Amino acid sequence: MKNVILLTIDALRKDVLGCYGSQGGLTPFIDSLQNNCLKFTRAQASGPYTQASFTGLLTSSYYLEYGKPKGLSPNRTLISEPLKRAGIITAAFHSNPYLCDYLGWNRGWDVFYDSMEEEVDERIPYIKGNVINSKVDEWLTSYRQGDNKPFFLWLHYMDIHEPYVPERKYIDMVDPSITISQNEMYNLFKDVLLKRDVSDEGAVKLLKKLYDIHVREVDGYIKEFFAILGKLDLLPNSVIIMTSDHGDEFGEHGGLSHDDKMYSELIDVPLLIYDLSQDEGGVCDALASNVDIPPTIIYLFGLDPVESFEGHSLLPLGGYPGNGCFGEAIDQRSQRGGDMEKDSYFYREQDLKVIYRANLDSWEMYDLKADPKELNNIIGTSPEAEELKIKLKPRVRRWLKDNLRGEQK
Amino acid sequence: MTEQDKVKKCAELVEKSKKVVRDAFNKFTPDELAITWTGGKDSTTTLWIIRQVCQEDKIKLPKVMTIDEGDSFPEIHDFINKWSKEWNLDLEWCVNQDAIDAAGGKLNALVKVKDLNERNQAEIKRIGYEEDTFRFEAESYVGNHLMKTVMFNLYIERHNVKAVFQGLRRDEQATRTQDDYFEKKEAAHLIPEHVRIKPILHFTERDIWNNIMINKIPYCILYERGYRSLGAASTSQIAVEGVPAWEQDLEHTVERAGRRQDKEQMMKRLRELGYM
Repeated sequence: MKNVILLTIDALRKDVLGCYGSQGGLTPFIDSLQNNCLKFTRAQASGPYTQASFTGLLTSSYYLEYGKPKGLSPNRTLISEPLKRAGIITAAFHSNPYLCDYLGWNRGWDVFYDSMEEEVDERIPYIKGNVINSKVDEWLTSYRQGDNKPFFLWLHYMDIHEPYVPERKYIDMVDPSITISQNEMYNLFKDVLLKRDVSDEGAVKLLKKLYDIHVREVDGYIKEFFAILGKLDLLPNSVIIMTSDHGDEFGEHGGLSHDDKMYSELIDVPLLIYDLSQDEGGVCDALASNVDIPPTIIYLFGLDPVESFEGHSLLPLGGYPGNGCFGEAIDQRSQRGGDMEKDSYFYREQDLKVIYRANLDSWEMYDLKADPKELNNIIGTSPEAEELKIKLKPRVRRWLKDNLRGEQK
Repeated sequence: MTEQDKVKKCAELVEKSKKVVRDAFNKFTPDELAITWTGGKDSTTTLWIIRQVCQEDKIKLPKVMTIDEGDSFPEIHDFINKWSKEWNLDLEWCVNQDAIDAAGGKLNALVKVKDLNERNQAEIKRIGYEEDTFRFEAESYVGNHLMKTVMFNLYIERHNVKAVFQGLRRDEQATRTQDDYFEKKEAAHLIPEHVRIKPILHFTERDIWNNIMINKIPYCILYERGYRSLGAASTSQIAVEGVPAWEQDLEHTVERAGRRQDKEQMMKRLRELGYM
């Protein structure tokens, strides 16, 4: 039985990767793996930010399934739980506060490192990828000295996430002509990004450039991680699933960062399954959701399907149930003001996507093939609009009644 | 476990801790070392073990620091004062008196940032807090920084401390499973460079109590009343009323219920990432 590794990268857009068509040269290492990768071209996040997406990624359930979420509901099954029960060693290394043990994400892990006790700099408010790697290296090395039971390892890099203050050496790798200081970068974060101010096109472009530089940086961390696996001779007997929790917006739909929108720049994610024994590469154009990842992990370990998981295994390829993909979120920026919650939803089938915003009671629909930038709303003209709306409607606001029962914390 | 097994296991645990302490004395002189002591069961156990080593090896006991965050139990004060005298410690109370004065000595008082001295104002600015006022609470974002982090940093700098002993245990939090006995903290935005030494990392909460009973190590009376974990007075809660900590079901219940500090830490990170 092979080990399974889930490598997730926070806020990584699909369209910055060379293997997904980018010419930017930001991901030479990931691109070099393609001969051993199964590549999903239509992978969808189940939400546009960490909490909304990771419920899919690690619990195969939707964000608003159990009322308005604060902590992780005990009703959800974390992928680590059935694995640990089956005798598989489970380890997690990350630095995202939304996934910390205080919020309940530490269930079922033999090792759970969330970095919350470390002091970090406000300009780099997380543990960097190289430190995550060294902790993983240390753990894998000690694992190698043990009885070598199969393991499930999840590691997550935060480095692409704002505030976008990259180090000089990575700037020089991407664009040495950028000369602004770290202070100026941090001010850009505070004055432009935090205010979601897209009025200055040059500033938005610069933010995107700094983001791209972090992408290049993370490609290096992935290379370093693969080298660790190589050193410990773990590559031949491990399957590595690589994806991101969501993308990031740079003015495509009038905003910045990742709030509650359901457009491609946030919802389209890369999804690669690396297996050294597969040396032909492969491409899967079927729709895939990140709720499908936990069932895929269960399949890879040869375990019985977990009943509460809402997705299906992506392996073996094909023969999928043919369902569309759902996603949902509540705008976090509206939550603190006591505003009415701005919840939003999407449903996608093939290349058609409908989006519903509950507080505006507004519907949108896009044909992603004809209009990949999602600028032309066809909800009033598409013959398929009604059918897609009917499929999404039962999900809308169902959390309100669940909320009365209350989610933990 | 029989009483005999318990004694044997405790001796092994203590021996392992003593080895860590001896390693520390090989790496640092007694003057470069300091011991953090809260008066709680873990740091008291740590201090007791270090004293043992110092007596056995005839080494000078390093200086001891204790932080008064302005919200402490009088029972803890009494305990620390009593044993500090008894054990003849070189003890320093670290108190951010300026912050306490600005709050009028009252918890939850609204403090105006401009009423603080320059150093404290600069510290508040340094952690990115931009409001004009804050609530005086030991475990809030600003309160924690002023009352604990700043006091700790000042002590380290003032005494040129290279390494500090701490009473952290691995089983306290899942996140600590990877911790090492020696942890080097690089100089960063908020802390000066120093090494953290954790001699009792391998103790569980149960081991701590077994060891306290077997070796007759003193403990604060609050544990007899049912407290299991002692932090700030206003946020620490009795776990089981009237049942001494060591008689509680330590294995199946949480030691740090509430864990206000963990929440604050999470909120701080989220703020820095641009949320909130």
